[in-house]
Amino acid sequence: MAIFETNELTKRYRTVTALDALTVEVEPGIVGLVGANGAGKSTLIKMLLGLLPPTSGSASVLAYDVASQGTLLRQFVGYMPEHDCLPLDMNATEFVAHMAQISGLPRDAARERTAETLRHVGLFEERYRQMSGYSTGMKQRVKLAQALVHDPRIVFLDEPTNGLDPEGRDEMLDLVTRTGTRFGISILMATHLLGEIERVCERLVVIDGGRLVHHGPIENFTSETGAIEVEVEGDATALATRLVAQGLEASVDHRWVLVGGTGDARYDAIRDGVAELGLGLVRLGQRRRALEDLFRPVEAGTSADG
Amino acid sequence: MAERGGSIYDLGYQHYEGARLGRTRAILALYRESLRAGFGLGRSATAKVAPFVLIGIALTPAIAQLVIGALISGVQDLIRHDEYYSLVSFVLALYCAAVAPDIVGRDQRNHSLALYFSRAISRMDYALAKFAAMTTAMLAITLVPQMLLFIGNALATDSFGTYVREDSDQAIPIVLTAVLGSAMLAAIGTAIAAQTPRRAYATVGIILTFLLSIAVSAILVEEVQTSATDLAVFFSPLTLIEGFTTWMFRTEIASDSLLRDVTFPRATYALAALVWTAGGVAMLVRRYARVQA
Repeated sequence: MAIFETNELTKRYRTVTALDALTVEVEPGIVGLVGANGAGKSTLIKMLLGLLPPTSGSASVLAYDVASQGTLLRQFVGYMPEHDCLPLDMNATEFVAHMAQISGLPRDAARERTAETLRHVGLFEERYRQMSGYSTGMKQRVKLAQALVHDPRIVFLDEPTNGLDPEGRDEMLDLVTRTGTRFGISILMATHLLGEIERVCERLVVIDGGRLVHHGPIENFTSETGAIEVEVEGDATALATRLVAQGLEASVDHRWVLVGGTGDARYDAIRDGVAELGLGLVRLGQRRRALEDLFRPVEAGTSADG
Repeated sequence: MAERGGSIYDLGYQHYEGARLGRTRAILALYRESLRAGFGLGRSATAKVAPFVLIGIALTPAIAQLVIGALISGVQDLIRHDEYYSLVSFVLALYCAAVAPDIVGRDQRNHSLALYFSRAISRMDYALAKFAAMTTAMLAITLVPQMLLFIGNALATDSFGTYVREDSDQAIPIVLTAVLGSAMLAAIGTAIAAQTPRRAYATVGIILTFLLSIAVSAILVEEVQTSATDLAVFFSPLTLIEGFTTWMFRTEIASDSLLRDVTFPRATYALAALVWTAGGVAMLVRRYARVQA
């Protein structure tokens, strides 16, 4: 079953189209929602939550229609917004327990789950302190806790590592991974940071200018391109020139020589070229697609349209 | 024997299998938490100052009656039920202005509306729960002093039981006036406070609405004196409270009241209060239907 589905989902403001007839059906797992700033990531999440009404089109999450079954659906959904959203004059325990009840949990269950969830995100004694004294990292943890406290089936995380230092970032990503893999909660994580996606996500939805660019398992985006990359010590240009002279596609990228085309004959040509030019062969292997390519899909030769 | 210090067991993540009470639970929880916020409960001591000081002031006449009645037999009706609200009308306005921004506007201030609207609650539920919480908070300053006054009067008689039995017909207007007055002030206060995340703007806006409406209607009724400008009394919520209170208690309008100068049937004041209430609630609901979360 798809965790969410959109059908021609569109959000238009007076001058801007934030989401443009997006149709996608996403399988469970840890899903990265990728795009540059302003690509429509937050808009999509807000529309799946029912926070923004669509201009046209429809969406369903966990097989509930967002427009007509919103309050029912949102018992099973968690949301960690990108922006600050905590009442700083409360303590974390009271706040998270309150939010659990707003998701429909009875009061006792809410308290129990709050204690567990705060422990899970790594808040201990501090949880009885007023949140105004919290660091950014602690606030992000509370934001995650309120999204998980009612044991949702899917959580939407909007740039969860925003404002964190490298260590805090690592911890947050670990938490996200653990939540997704060990607890079996599906996650849709919006981010513009490629490193985070590679580390955490199993699937990707890539949007740009409000349109769907790619969608699929992450392997599709990092699969082999067929090109061979050769790292040499010495004059890479000389090698490339020689290979081109032999009728092969070859180009230079810093210390790398990229050899396109197909066939094992390429390896022989490379070996001979390196030997005769007296270069040091450091590495030779298949070039993989890089996630960076997602952001410049028009660039020739390296486009990833998986 | 377990070793001292014991062991740490990772029990892992437990899925929640218990009841999910959905929207009903969510609305009740929001109502309760909003009411607590109104009184500053669960917050710092400073958050409690304004509401409790104002409640204290509003209760003072009733407590005076209670104490005097308990000590000196026969001294009853120092203050009459139907006069109570005119006596404390400015306190009602100040209290509404102090409490409403803690009940609504707070979530806008904290940017936490998105957390509510992404849960098991609709925008309409949210607005109505806030209105209900504010109305309840107002009862602390309307119904509570009226009840204390009733008890005080009973204590001042020779027989507490006899007074309560014979004057139990007072109970209906006591409750009705308190509920209607509270609902009207709550509707107006929340409708104004919901328009801005800024606490100070909300407070000033509410005070100005109540006080300016009294001043303007007084000028129009007493100075201009035409049948058209007499209608201005309907635009002053605090004046309306005075009007429907004397109607429900079936007593005379006070001699210094603005309402002496106009000749409307007094039931219309209750009707106008209902219209104000409905208008305020509609404005509140509309605001939360549109506000960006």
